[in-house]
Amino acid sequence: MNGSIVGRSLPRVDGIEKATGQAKYVDDLDLAGMLHGKILRSPLSHARIIRIDTQKAEKLPGVKGIVTANDTLKIPFSFPPHLKDKYPLEFEKVRCIGDEIAAVAAVDKDIAEEAIGLIDVEFEELTSVFDPIEAMKPGAPEVHEGTRNNISRKIEWEYGNVQKGFEESDYVFENRFTTSRPTHCSLEPHGALAYVDNTGKLTIWMTVQNPHTVKEELANLLGLASHQVRVIKPPIGGAFGARIMMDPLDVICAHLALKCGKPVKIINSRKEEFYASRGRLPMIIDLKTGVTKDGKIVSREATVIADKGAYNSHGPRVLGYAGKALFSLYNMPHTKFTGLTVYTNNPYSGAFRGFGNPQVTFASECQLDMIAESLKIDPIEFRLKNVVKSGDVAPTGAKITSCGIEECFLRSARLSGWKERQVERKKNRGFGVACMIHSSGAKGFFGDSNLSDSFVKMNPDGSVVIYSGASDLGQGSDTALTQIVAEELGVNFEKVKIVSADTDTTPVDYGSFGTRVTFAAGNAVKMAANVVKKQIFEVAAELLEAHEDDLVAHGGVVHVMFHPGRSLPIEKIARTAYYDMGKPLSGRGFYNGPDSPSPDVTTYFGNTSPAYCFAAQVAEVEVDPETGSVKILNFVAAHDLGRAINPMAAEGQVEGGVVQGIGYALMEDLVCNKGVVLNPNFSDYKVLKAPDVPPIEPILVESNDPNGPFGAKGVAEPALVPTAPAIANAIYDAIGVRITDLPITPEKIIRALREKRKTSKES
Amino acid sequence: MKKRIRILVNREWQEFVVDCNKSLLDALRDILRLTGTKRGCNTGDCGACSVILDGKLVNACLVLAVEADGKSVLTIEGLASKDELHPLQKSFVENGAIQCGFCTPGMILTAKALLDDHPNPSEDEIRRAIAGNICRCTGYVKIVKAINSLVGGHK
Repeated sequence: MNGSIVGRSLPRVDGIEKATGQAKYVDDLDLAGMLHGKILRSPLSHARIIRIDTQKAEKLPGVKGIVTANDTLKIPFSFPPHLKDKYPLEFEKVRCIGDEIAAVAAVDKDIAEEAIGLIDVEFEELTSVFDPIEAMKPGAPEVHEGTRNNISRKIEWEYGNVQKGFEESDYVFENRFTTSRPTHCSLEPHGALAYVDNTGKLTIWMTVQNPHTVKEELANLLGLASHQVRVIKPPIGGAFGARIMMDPLDVICAHLALKCGKPVKIINSRKEEFYASRGRLPMIIDLKTGVTKDGKIVSREATVIADKGAYNSHGPRVLGYAGKALFSLYNMPHTKFTGLTVYTNNPYSGAFRGFGNPQVTFASECQLDMIAESLKIDPIEFRLKNVVKSGDVAPTGAKITSCGIEECFLRSARLSGWKERQVERKKNRGFGVACMIHSSGAKGFFGDSNLSDSFVKMNPDGSVVIYSGASDLGQGSDTALTQIVAEELGVNFEKVKIVSADTDTTPVDYGSFGTRVTFAAGNAVKMAANVVKKQIFEVAAELLEAHEDDLVAHGGVVHVMFHPGRSLPIEKIARTAYYDMGKPLSGRGFYNGPDSPSPDVTTYFGNTSPAYCFAAQVAEVEVDPETGSVKILNFVAAHDLGRAINPMAAEGQVEGGVVQGIGYALMEDLVCNKGVVLNPNFSDYKVLKAPDVPPIEPILVESNDPNGPFGAKGVAEPALVPTAPAIANAIYDAIGVRITDLPITPEKIIRALREKRKTSKES
Repeated sequence: MKKRIRILVNREWQEFVVDCNKSLLDALRDILRLTGTKRGCNTGDCGACSVILDGKLVNACLVLAVEADGKSVLTIEGLASKDELHPLQKSFVENGAIQCGFCTPGMILTAKALLDDHPNPSEDEIRRAIAGNICRCTGYVKIVKAINSLVGGHK
């Protein structure tokens, strides 16, 4: 069915307020008597805290309150809760540089900063460990007391028998890949504004992706009843996973507000954003794959060792998802996954766009390219031979519904000139391809569900308000949900408003993560709108003397099918409903898919997601063998998103994701030495700027998912997943060297070229 | 040490007392409460605080407030007229050039400074002009498109 609103590139609902500077982000908010907070962070990577002396700081004029762990309930937290290992303010030990020790609230930022400098902390320095392999050896410093070999989580499963599979394979390939520590670099630094009113109720504005679930966690840590906490997400300046769940900053801000009896605002400096925030989990991936000579994958074993840094945060879940993603894309009878997150005294990672998938997809798609070359099979043909299709159950138990990966390959190959690449080979130029699968939301992040609840009401004037807990991080969910409701109700887009992401005024939604929003919240608001539509039709049927089943709503008008003359504007129906009949027009809808039973607790086998997104990306590069620099000549990214609710917005997500992916491939990395981040600023941490961006051509493939709202799945989060391997494969095609360690810097390319020349001289 | 200064901000004279070590960004946001100009890094690396000072594009975090004494400043709040958005604002909204919006005020002012000086830039020149404005969401593609669509005198 052709949508008149869904499927259109309408301008986003918050575009004007952002273009005029009227949108108020956390640091733009101001409350009377507001104080400014600053956190004292550990300068040491591993030390026992002997004594914290705040006396001098307390005496500084303008200081209104100081908190240490003694002002808290000393309850640890993490995500997931059963792996909790982080106190908002540490009191026994610090385990990484940046670890929170104390915080000050003062009348202005300068005084707060000065006061931090006056807090005296006596440490007993301990030996640090910075390498995960070293950290697992006997005798290594224990980052968390009682954690054997510093292994915070071990995940292992085997389906089939990989050893048998390798014996049955014609060829077996074994390769190691290592990935880096990029960080989110959201343009708005992390921040919170906390305020406690005279009833003891805490209201906190946060840069957060999931207000409803954070509220519970906050209440728990603060010792407040849950109904005494209100979490509001204002417009936020990017997230990319940095803001799922709480940061110690949020709890500390609340503690300061409680202690001082005044509103307190804490905003990270850019430096803190680099060294004290949760980036991507770096992994050492050993991949062993067995194939038949005609290109069928028979057996695959992956071992992942991840440097968790000082605390768990989302790490263990990222590891688990990495295993799932790695083994859900291709059919094969034998699979084995062993994953470890290992504590070290490095800065600790959390959740970052892709949630483990970019790391393993880099390894997998690079190795598959090596295999295709060995077997002399075209890389795309090889993938198509093994990739899952609609109706398949993947090795992990993932149930594939809509699957547009074939079309992704076809269209990206066509647009990029893939087929012609062999015809006229240019020196130092090459093509590379990679593909991916990603969950569109999943059960099991919070308890066993994937809930999104929503309300929709129509006012007597025919305008509509949506209430959804879903969070717009800039990816445009507010707009997409508005389009879905307008389409469903047949009202004009401009007449629909959305209230979102406030725990007092919106129903529960678990948050914006895991590519779940369009699917889960979209389905919820569509259901709620449908309830309202039925109510409208009930009234309209009476007014038009027709049967409800014969009515259609379109463009703000309800008319009888095939009788456009018999119609009524929706405002008239609404007014009549409210004022003449006393019938309110409001509805509720919710979503909690998929219907599948939860995965087995010990084997992890099962289907967690209601739908899966797919993509194929093709990179064309030119490498300068003298300088090692890589120029991307063209980049084509074909993404199966089920249905594009807003094509312009979807393209924007693909383009932005690809650019982050290029950064991941070629330049982004927090350079850590002995736990110190050496490049905590935008001059030394390289992100792409406008002149660095190659021509990017996004292709939206619509496979029309049977369970998605109007057929839609997600697209935003995984847009960067195949980018790094596509580029790595293109570099190999261009100059014959394969770099298996991210980022692929010019130095690594030159070193590899030298090695290649040396080996060919020797042979 | 404090000083009393006068700045013509968005065509209106503002007079206030400011510490000599405060930046123009601090003055705009914290004293004048014009929060449209954003603080992304405070070290001149990200461009989120771009404003136009006496007709020249600057990072407000790198200008001392006292340096702007007697000068004119244009911020994002001064762009739209009472009844109408500036063509750049309209173009950004219509072309999908805004996602999280945090880079948007700085980006639009940078684009304005470019088009004021060079009404017909090439796409390369547009990219170089906004090279000092980091955007983490869009990949710059639709931002360049939005600016490009105004090239050829639709100011």
